[in-house]
Amino acid sequence: MAEGCAPLHEDVIVVSVVRLYYEDLEEMVGASREVIMARIAMMGADIGKSNEEDYVDVEFFPDRPDLYSSEGVARALQGFLDIKVGLPEYQVHPGEVTLKVDSSVESVRPLIGCAVVKDLEFSDPAIESLMDLQEDLHWGLGRNRRKVAIGVHDISRVVPPFTYFAADPSFEFVPLDFDESLSMRDILKRHPKGIGYASILEGFDRYPLITDANGDVLSFPPIINGELTRVVDDTRDLFIDVTGTDPVVYKALNIVVTALAERGGRVESVQVKRPEGDLTFPDLSPARWKVEVEDANRLIGFNLSPEDLAICLERMRFGAQVQGRGLEVLVPPYRADIMHTWDIFEDAAKGYGYDKLVPTLPKTVTVGEPHPFEIRKSDLREIMVGLGYLETMPFTLTSEKTNFVKMRRSVQDQEVTRVLHPISELHTMVRTSILPSILEIFAINQHHPLPQRIFALGDVLARGKTRQDLAAASIHSGADFAEVRSVVDALFRELSIEPEIVASEDGAFLEGRRADLMVNGKKVGSFGEFHPQVLRSFGLDQPAVGLELRWDILWPSGRS
Amino acid sequence: MPSEEDNLSALSPRDRQVLKEISEGQSNPKKIAEKLEIKEVSVISSAEGLAEKGLIRLDKKVEEVYALTEEGARYAEIGLPERRILEIAGADGVPISKIEDPSLKVGIGWLKKKSWAAVEAGKIKPTGEAPPGKDEEILEALHFQGQTGASAFDPEALKVLKSRGLVEPSTCKSWCFEITDAGRSFFRRSVEDSVTFRWDSISYINQITSDMIKNGNWGGKDVYYKGARHEVRPYDVTLTAERIYPGKMHPYQRLLSWMREIMLEMGFTEIKGEIVQPSYWNFDALFQPQDHPAREMQDTFYLDTKADIPDYATVKEMHERGGEVGSTGWGGTWDPEVARKEVLRTHTTSVTIKYLADHPNPPVKAFSIDRVYRREAIDPTHTPEFEQLEGVIMDENLSFANLLGVLKEFYAKMGFDEVRFRPGYFPYTEPSVEPEVYIEGLGWVELGGAGVFRREVTAPFGIDHPVLAWGLGVGRLAMLRLGLKDLRLLYQSDVGWLRDVPLSTRM
Repeated sequence: MAEGCAPLHEDVIVVSVVRLYYEDLEEMVGASREVIMARIAMMGADIGKSNEEDYVDVEFFPDRPDLYSSEGVARALQGFLDIKVGLPEYQVHPGEVTLKVDSSVESVRPLIGCAVVKDLEFSDPAIESLMDLQEDLHWGLGRNRRKVAIGVHDISRVVPPFTYFAADPSFEFVPLDFDESLSMRDILKRHPKGIGYASILEGFDRYPLITDANGDVLSFPPIINGELTRVVDDTRDLFIDVTGTDPVVYKALNIVVTALAERGGRVESVQVKRPEGDLTFPDLSPARWKVEVEDANRLIGFNLSPEDLAICLERMRFGAQVQGRGLEVLVPPYRADIMHTWDIFEDAAKGYGYDKLVPTLPKTVTVGEPHPFEIRKSDLREIMVGLGYLETMPFTLTSEKTNFVKMRRSVQDQEVTRVLHPISELHTMVRTSILPSILEIFAINQHHPLPQRIFALGDVLARGKTRQDLAAASIHSGADFAEVRSVVDALFRELSIEPEIVASEDGAFLEGRRADLMVNGKKVGSFGEFHPQVLRSFGLDQPAVGLELRWDILWPSGRS
Repeated sequence: MPSEEDNLSALSPRDRQVLKEISEGQSNPKKIAEKLEIKEVSVISSAEGLAEKGLIRLDKKVEEVYALTEEGARYAEIGLPERRILEIAGADGVPISKIEDPSLKVGIGWLKKKSWAAVEAGKIKPTGEAPPGKDEEILEALHFQGQTGASAFDPEALKVLKSRGLVEPSTCKSWCFEITDAGRSFFRRSVEDSVTFRWDSISYINQITSDMIKNGNWGGKDVYYKGARHEVRPYDVTLTAERIYPGKMHPYQRLLSWMREIMLEMGFTEIKGEIVQPSYWNFDALFQPQDHPAREMQDTFYLDTKADIPDYATVKEMHERGGEVGSTGWGGTWDPEVARKEVLRTHTTSVTIKYLADHPNPPVKAFSIDRVYRREAIDPTHTPEFEQLEGVIMDENLSFANLLGVLKEFYAKMGFDEVRFRPGYFPYTEPSVEPEVYIEGLGWVELGGAGVFRREVTAPFGIDHPVLAWGLGVGRLAMLRLGLKDLRLLYQSDVGWLRDVPLSTRM
């Protein structure tokens, strides 16, 4: 279906597709694929069209990066299907690894969070899921790595403690997928990832780097890992670094770490020694919110007791404790979308089931009122249709060539609204006139019998302001000034307006057969026989006449 | 089997004239039309009738013809890019870096392919050999004589031009008539036997004149007029007539008008706003973070202008720290300069939020149906501009369940009796919902999006009651209702389609 037509910004949202292998998912969730697929959409997902035997592609919304992995999806499904509800508990075991943050990263990429996850056994779906998760987080949360970049390493290949500092671009190491040592400067020029993300480091004279006790490189964030710590089939213990410029870095770390914990990994803490003080990561403690049951009931339109509301939230994997008429809600550490209590209430509605809500018409009483422009448009449309004209609705995007040059009209720079990055040379500006589009429609319809008479009503832009125009044209072997003059006269008779008609200078029409329409001493339009050069520039070979009228200024305030 | 007698009377004068021309060896409908001073379509319609009666043979030929595209026409005038580069290069050559114009750059590859020039050390060096190519001959010929049959040209060169998008093919129907033996004998006999059939019978009246009405002495179909008895020639009333077409509203406009009526019936006030909006109304007022991917220039048409924006203190505070509604905000620093950048509105919500900011007191019910802009390449299901319908209700004590109620009612009025609701996500609503309607033969189809405006959106403008909002891409609905596979047809309309879509099409 036409994505381009979707409202409320749907099509420009970055949507992440997660590939779920049924067998893997069934095992993690503890339910059959039939049960899962019957309910998953009601949790908040778009199921792809794939009819594959062993997997399904599911789109999750960009506010839920914790669902970008099959582990995260399984965790949510367990709650939603009442298999395992409430806050997931994750143990963080005290670890030995420390990472020192040098103050040199402050200007280039100040934030870092790390964790160690041990005892992993990677199956194919698990590795695929981890890679996809990393990529989706880079894109979704990380704004294409600018805000967040994640590195995953085989920790057995390096020796802690690690150091995060900004190094001179001449520093050399072997980047992932290369077998030779390159300077960081050359990586940005020669490595595919370097070329892809070099812009993030533009303007900095030192680049971020993570090295081990021996000076061996783990990562050059946000560009590329070192080849040394590549994750291979028999990797069991991981070091994870997440760097960036926004505290969302720590959410990304939690999302990755908890997904790995769901796979049975043992999470160990890392001491991060920063100039401004030490921190221990990962921090998997829940955020605590207080909500009033009454607020939830009022917003959603159901009527739940505190206990029932707690059940709905636990189904969405929140922790919830009843405190009088309110709840204390524990938000899982991987949720990056809870900004406001309404975010919690939406989850409560999902946990309750959108399909169980009772649609109720509001009692708001108002009287509808059409916009005065639309009333006018409908009058103008009725007149033109009565005169035998067919309505068209051409694009408003056009080019200077079509809008001015082909029309023998000079480009009026101060009038034109140009777009900065046109996608095609046919669409570089918003039209200042509708007639060119009508001639274009004639041009693509030359195989249909003549006469053709068409009109269009719509917006034009002049000096950045929207105006309302009517344009009409007629093409056939006998089209002449008298015909268009009759149409103009009929139009204004019906509008009860007497325009003054004076000779025109409009280059689109033939000299001596062109006129301007004046109302109250102001030019509101022009009409005439199209200049043969205009006709030819649109590829037409029959006489044509046309008129264009700016009608929004005919009536003060747009009303009669 | 009709007798020849029936055949005779069934022929209109025009049919007879056309048959006469064909019997005299005229085979081209255009020429016949010119000679008889009638329309070519009339000749063809007569000829089809004659062919049905077996009096003539009718050959329809379909030929592939080529014409210049807009780009091709330009090159026909100013020369192919490679030819123009050659002119710029002269005998000494020119550095590649000098060729900056993107429309010229494409010529570099062709220069090499045609061996007109070599590229050495970043410099284009003409080989000195650049005879006019077959492709250039074709461009010139098409420029000079217009649409031409493919057979006239070198097929290889034509293929290359087509792949470069400089020429485009279409099909051209031509007709050829020839009299049959039956037609010939019919024609001969009818001339011999002028008693039963006379070509220009004066005893028949074709057109009744005003004078005949006033002064004729009328019986059944006979009239005694100017001293003679005449008969009004009977027509075969079952024959088809020339097609005529009424002026009509665009079918898509009929859908839009109908949806407007539904909204007005439901008590909504219609609102409109500017196409050019500052990012402030298009994004920031809707709590879209300034680094959100949807704001990037690959999705949005930015202009090179900046607008004045209203006092933004509350919006800035909401983005940075979450204002006073208990939100976390986005953190970071909100930059008014980013908010001043003007865009072609990417959604009608920019108009809605401005209207709500101007009308913060309940109740408000407003809607708009207008064009919005996205930086999308054109293809059958994407256009860079399209219509959105959007409705909002703001009042005391409204709930998400009320939104579902409004949606159900709206879709029912649109003719969709079965509606269901799925969780959705939109950056400025919470909760959000994706309504789906059941369409026979298609199943459940997602149609629009809806939600309650976030507090982060409404609070900065002093709007303290819930705002229920929903939107709908109307083009998608038009495709469903009009059975269109190609969205472009709505905007770059085929006149034949506009003429043929019946007014009675159920929207």
